[in-house]
Amino acid sequence: MRVAVTGTPGTGKTTATERVESGLDLVHLNEVIREEGLATGRDEERDSLVADLDAVADRLSDRDDLLLDSHLAHRLDVDRVVVLRCHPGELERRLTERGEPTAKAEENAESEALDVILAESVDRHGEDSVYEIDATDRDPEAVAGEIERVIDGDRDPSAGTVSFIEYL
Amino acid sequence: MTEGKDDIWGIAHVHASFNNTIITITDQTGAETLAKSSGGTVVKQNRDEASPYAAMQMAETVAEQVLAQGVEGVHVRVRGPGGNQQKNPGPGAQATIRALARAGLEIGRIEDVTPIPHDGTRGPKNSGF
Ligand SMILES: Nc1ncnc2c1ncn2[C@@H]1O[C@H](COP(=O)(O)OP(=O)(O)O)[C@@H](O)[C@H]1O
Ligand SMILES: [Mg+2]
Repeated sequence: MRVAVTGTPGTGKTTATERVESGLDLVHLNEVIREEGLATGRDEERDSLVADLDAVADRLSDRDDLLLDSHLAHRLDVDRVVVLRCHPGELERRLTERGEPTAKAEENAESEALDVILAESVDRHGEDSVYEIDATDRDPEAVAGEIERVIDGDRDPSAGTVSFIEYL
Repeated sequence: MTEGKDDIWGIAHVHASFNNTIITITDQTGAETLAKSSGGTVVKQNRDEASPYAAMQMAETVAEQVLAQGVEGVHVRVRGPGGNQQKNPGPGAQATIRALARAGLEIGRIEDVTPIPHDGTRGPKNSGF
C-alpha cells in the first residue's frame, strides 16, 4: 500500500511522518526531487524546482509499502491520501519561525486558505480516498497517531471539514 | 464615479475554495470596495448543489449592487481551485462568472491568480487533472 501525506508546506508533514510507526517506508519526496534533480525547470520567483512528476513516478515505480511525505505526494499514484490542514495564520507563523521568506509564507498561507491541495487531492483520487486531518492545535504525536489510524484502516475518509477562507 | 469610459469598469475578485466562495467587486485600482458577498458556511452541506447555487446567488446580488453604482463591466480575477477545474466539487468560478454576465455585467479579461504551494519544489501547472 502507498499512503501519501500531503498538505501545504508548514502543515507539519515532515514532523508528523517522522513519528509515524508503520510497516511503510518513509520517503521525503522533496529531498529525492532535489538530490536527484527530478525537475523540468526552475521557478525563479519562488526559488523552487518545477518537479518532473513523471520522473518521480518512474523513480518509485518498483516500490510499494510507502509513506510519501510531500506537498506533491497526492499527484502520484497512491491508495490513500492524508491531507494535513493548519489554520493559515498559524501556518504563516510556523513557516516564518522556520526561517522562510515572507513571500513564501504568505503564498503558502493563501494556498491553505483556498484549500488548493485538498481540492487537487479530491479531484485526482476521489472523496473516498482522502483523509483530511486538522493539525492546527494538535501536537506532532497526535497527528502521527491519526495518520497511523488511516494506514491501519481505522479512520473514515473526510474532506471539506474545515474552512479557512475567512482568513483572506 | 465619473462618466469616463475607463471608470465604469471594475474588478471582480473571486475567491473560490473547496466549499466556499467570496466575491468582492472593487474599482479598477482595487482600492475601493463596491460590493462584497461571502457564501457563508456551507461546510458539510451538499457541495454539489448547495454551493454553486450559493455562489450564483451571491454573484447576482453583487452584480445588482454595482450596476446600480454605474458599473458596466468587470475584469475577473479568480483565486482558488474552483478557477480552472470544472470537475472540482467547489462552487466553481465558472458558475460565478456566468451569473455575473447573466445579471447584465460585461465580462472583460479573466485572470487565474491561484497561489501555488511551494517549498523548494513546486508542481507543474495541473492541466493533467
Ligand atoms: N503539530 C505541530 N504543532 C506545532 N508546530 C508544528 C507542528 N508540526 C510541525 N510544526 C512546526 O511547524 C514547522 C513546519 O513543520 P514541517 O514538519 O516542516 O512541515 P511540512 O513538512 O508540512 O512543511 C516546523 O518548524 C515545525 O517545528
Ligand atoms: Mg516537509
